[in-house]
Amino acid sequence: MTAVVTGAAGGIGRALCRRLGKAGHRVVAVDLSPRLEETVAILENEAIVVEPVQADLTTRSGIEAVALASQRSGGLQVLVNNAGITRDSRLVNLSEGDFKAVIDVNLGAAYRLTRALAHLMEAGSIINISSRAYLGNFGQFNYSMSKGGLVGLTRALALTLAPSIRVNAVAPGLIQTEMAMSIPDDVLGRMIALIPAARMGQPEEVAELVFFLASDASSYITGEVLIIGGGRSLSR
Amino acid sequence: MPLRCQPEEIAAALDAWREDRSGLVFVADDTTGDDWSEVSAELTEAFRLTKKSLTAMRPVVFVVHNDDLLGRNGPGRAMVATGLLSAARTAALEHRKAGVAVNVIAREEGTNPRWLARWCGLLMEGTDPTGQLIHLGSGHLGKALP
Repeated sequence: MTAVVTGAAGGIGRALCRRLGKAGHRVVAVDLSPRLEETVAILENEAIVVEPVQADLTTRSGIEAVALASQRSGGLQVLVNNAGITRDSRLVNLSEGDFKAVIDVNLGAAYRLTRALAHLMEAGSIINISSRAYLGNFGQFNYSMSKGGLVGLTRALALTLAPSIRVNAVAPGLIQTEMAMSIPDDVLGRMIALIPAARMGQPEEVAELVFFLASDASSYITGEVLIIGGGRSLSR
Repeated sequence: MPLRCQPEEIAAALDAWREDRSGLVFVADDTTGDDWSEVSAELTEAFRLTKKSLTAMRPVVFVVHNDDLLGRNGPGRAMVATGLLSAARTAALEHRKAGVAVNVIAREEGTNPRWLARWCGLLMEGTDPTGQLIHLGSGHLGKALP
């Protein structure tokens, strides 16, 4: 069984690779960043079978490289579209370049990769990593639109790929990644104060939810969006 | 009122309403296919027009199809519809203090264009509601909440 994970070099991506790898999947770990090497070294040290693919998923050659690696690995069963970037700005100040960059990576790459890989899956599970920002988030017009678009993609694919392939989305809130830790302490503190769970989520918690959606334990769930945000969608 | 609208009957109905109102009505294109270039072009057009309207402090209404919100017409139209909904919520958040409304209307097959135009006009009038999804018709009942 093979699992493809994009955005594998980041905090959530690494946790995803680890969780799926420990469940016995061969992991095709995809990222544009050279930091992918570090992730692969860590995972291999934990006896996880990993095939790294350093690729730009906004290009045809990048998509083809992942498809080739998936074919080589064989038995593709799980695809996790996790790659994402931010270029935050209020809409009135947002440049078209930053708008397109985020849409192309967060939504376009997920869509094109899924189209390229779905026919390699006889059965299995596709999980799109959206964001709680799909509900709306100040200063993230582009990011929010891209993550909202993933919700529509999830629903459409859930209908067209059923019954053999299930498609769901996970929408994380504030997760303790390097990106979150780059937020100034006072700002981060105010953000955490708004979370009923009174803390940031851990990448491993997101990975556990994704593993559940990848497994037969969730065999009757498709086309859904599961928010993992400590209750932030309810608080003021 | 700038209007980005393909279906002629809807455009005609909206035309009748827009003379005395300023703002953007963006009707998602029913002909958008499943090629990424088409999806990207539609979302980029929405970005350009929305930015222009909100920079001028004028309200925005996106019109999408309920079937697209639920993914029934393929991934291309689904990505556009749900992308616009999320973008509307964010834009509404950014402009709520300024009192500029951004909303979404979900229509169905058979939605009366004049009724749609009336709702667009209503949503252009004030500062409330904002960030809302208004369903016209009953096709959403018992289905997934966006």
